[in-house]
Amino acid sequence: MSRVSETGFSGLLDLPLNRLVDKARDEGGRIIGYTCSYVPEPLISVDGLVPIRMRAPGVSGTPLADTYMSSVICSYTRSILEFALDGFYNELDGWVFTASCDHLRRLYDNLSYLENPPFNYMIDLPHKISEPAISWFHEELKLLAGALSADFGVDTGPDALRNAIAKLNSFNAILREIGEMRKEDTPPISGRDFHEIVAACASSPKYLLKDKICKYHESLKRNDGTDDYRARLMLVGSQLDDPEYISVIESVGGLVVADRCCLGSFPGLAHIECGTDPLRSLAEHYLAKTSCPRMMEEFDSRIENIIGIAREYRVDGIIIETMKFCDCWGVDSGLLVSALRDRNIPVLRLEREYSLSGEGQIRTRVQAFIESMGK
Amino acid sequence: MTAYFGGCDVGSTTGKSVILKDGEIVADAIIKSRIDPEETARLVMADAVSKTGGIDRVEDIAYLVGTGYGRNEVPFANENISEITCHSVGAHFCDRKIRTIIDIGGQDVKAISVRDDGSVLEFAMNDKCAAGTGKFFEAMSRTFDMSIEDFSRLPLKANRLVPVTAQCSVFAETEVVSLISRKKPPADIAAGIHAAVAKRCYTLARRVGVRPKVTMTGGCAKNAGLMQALEKVLHSEVTRLDYDPQLVGALGAAVLAMRKCDR
Repeated sequence: MSRVSETGFSGLLDLPLNRLVDKARDEGGRIIGYTCSYVPEPLISVDGLVPIRMRAPGVSGTPLADTYMSSVICSYTRSILEFALDGFYNELDGWVFTASCDHLRRLYDNLSYLENPPFNYMIDLPHKISEPAISWFHEELKLLAGALSADFGVDTGPDALRNAIAKLNSFNAILREIGEMRKEDTPPISGRDFHEIVAACASSPKYLLKDKICKYHESLKRNDGTDDYRARLMLVGSQLDDPEYISVIESVGGLVVADRCCLGSFPGLAHIECGTDPLRSLAEHYLAKTSCPRMMEEFDSRIENIIGIAREYRVDGIIIETMKFCDCWGVDSGLLVSALRDRNIPVLRLEREYSLSGEGQIRTRVQAFIESMGK
Repeated sequence: MTAYFGGCDVGSTTGKSVILKDGEIVADAIIKSRIDPEETARLVMADAVSKTGGIDRVEDIAYLVGTGYGRNEVPFANENISEITCHSVGAHFCDRKIRTIIDIGGQDVKAISVRDDGSVLEFAMNDKCAAGTGKFFEAMSRTFDMSIEDFSRLPLKANRLVPVTAQCSVFAETEVVSLISRKKPPADIAAGIHAAVAKRCYTLARRVGVRPKVTMTGGCAKNAGLMQALEKVLHSEVTRLDYDPQLVGALGAAVLAMRKCDR
């Protein structure tokens, strides 16, 4: 059951481009939309560029997008195309994609063909994490840096990048601290509210939100927290940018204390180590830390990462949410379920569409899952 | 005074209630669901209470558990528990050797793997599609212009099976009309329909693992043709419970209510 947000951030999630994005534009910022965690955010934050993670809040069907993309393409990419065709992203100054999955590649293709955005860029992305792959990705980022400089006249030099990385690290450190409060026995923040904040931050110019986040962080320190839950849960999956999905899970007594989603705390908020060559540092960080099932030969590290987080946050069970037709997560989730069960970790797999639907069914499944754990 | 314990299963199609006393079933009721789940719950509980001979009001029940899709709407309920857990506990109460349940209700299908103590080990549910549910059988029986009871017995008269490929309720209806117009024997078409649903149940059951004993619960467990088709795809016997399979969810809720007070 959804409830009224108490974070004060909910108004930033109602529109694909919120009022803070408008404000940043009015102040001269150039807004760059992106759709994947492999896009190195600091590189599209330099010198007045403002990265915004693309969402399609309230999408109620994708009839136009279905004309161009098959209905067996994931509903996130179809929803973004639908909103693009509806003109919701007309204020964007550019888009940056990574070739992370075929569905996002088709989104890029269709966007180019149908909308021809002023700047539409695709970064190639290796499927392995190795020294040659990092070098390859580094070269890709150099090309993107060059394109950004050429099109927007922005400085993508080492100092500008160092500055952007430092700012993102400083911002993410606050979000990380908020997320870590969920380790407590009586977490001061619900999974729904935490997700709302993370999604709001990804959907807004961060420099316009930092004070608000800091104040919210301080207010949480004075919050006694809640022990009104039956089970501590971890959410694992792909693109999830609707806090109401977590609200449904929490309405039957689960408390989402940890997550591993594209827009969640792991690995998206990790600190970026900045070396002598910041672009190289970005290549290393984003390739190695993003932990997406699209990567080959990384299953073992992915599962260890998930189990490590589950233990750290003392979760009772894990919910794997996969979007229908997502090739990467669709394949990986089956293996994840088996691997987690082998380690006696209760796990529930939920398939979903991008926009929230079938709340009653989700509730029944999650409630039964919690009951099956004897909670 | 001996306490009474109740379970109220508010489903999409029917409301069910069971009342226990001294660990025995003393009353039960099934009614067609009203639009308002709360009204369904009130009526079906009142019906069962009137049959107990010992209590006059729902409020006299010591502990009441609500279950089913309308479980949050059961008035006087002390708590609500998912229908998955309730079917597991209910079937295990009827037969302690049950390890796999296929529950086919009005609008959903579930496969449940049961632990030795009757709790849920694992479960799988159908998605938003009504294929293979009670609604599907209702639509099919309308196409055959017969009652659902007669339709469920029709496959038992089949000489061979006419495959029905469509799983969608809407497309299946079209396909069946086409088969009837091609003069295929109705019993053979009905056998094909039931076989298709049984295969769908089997696929779901395989996701949780099929371990004997297997039983069917829910309103569709009364469908003899489906039971036969399921036994065929499972290559094993499907245990018929001694109690009305449609009431198993409500029974499980009542058993859980009783256990709450035993603790």
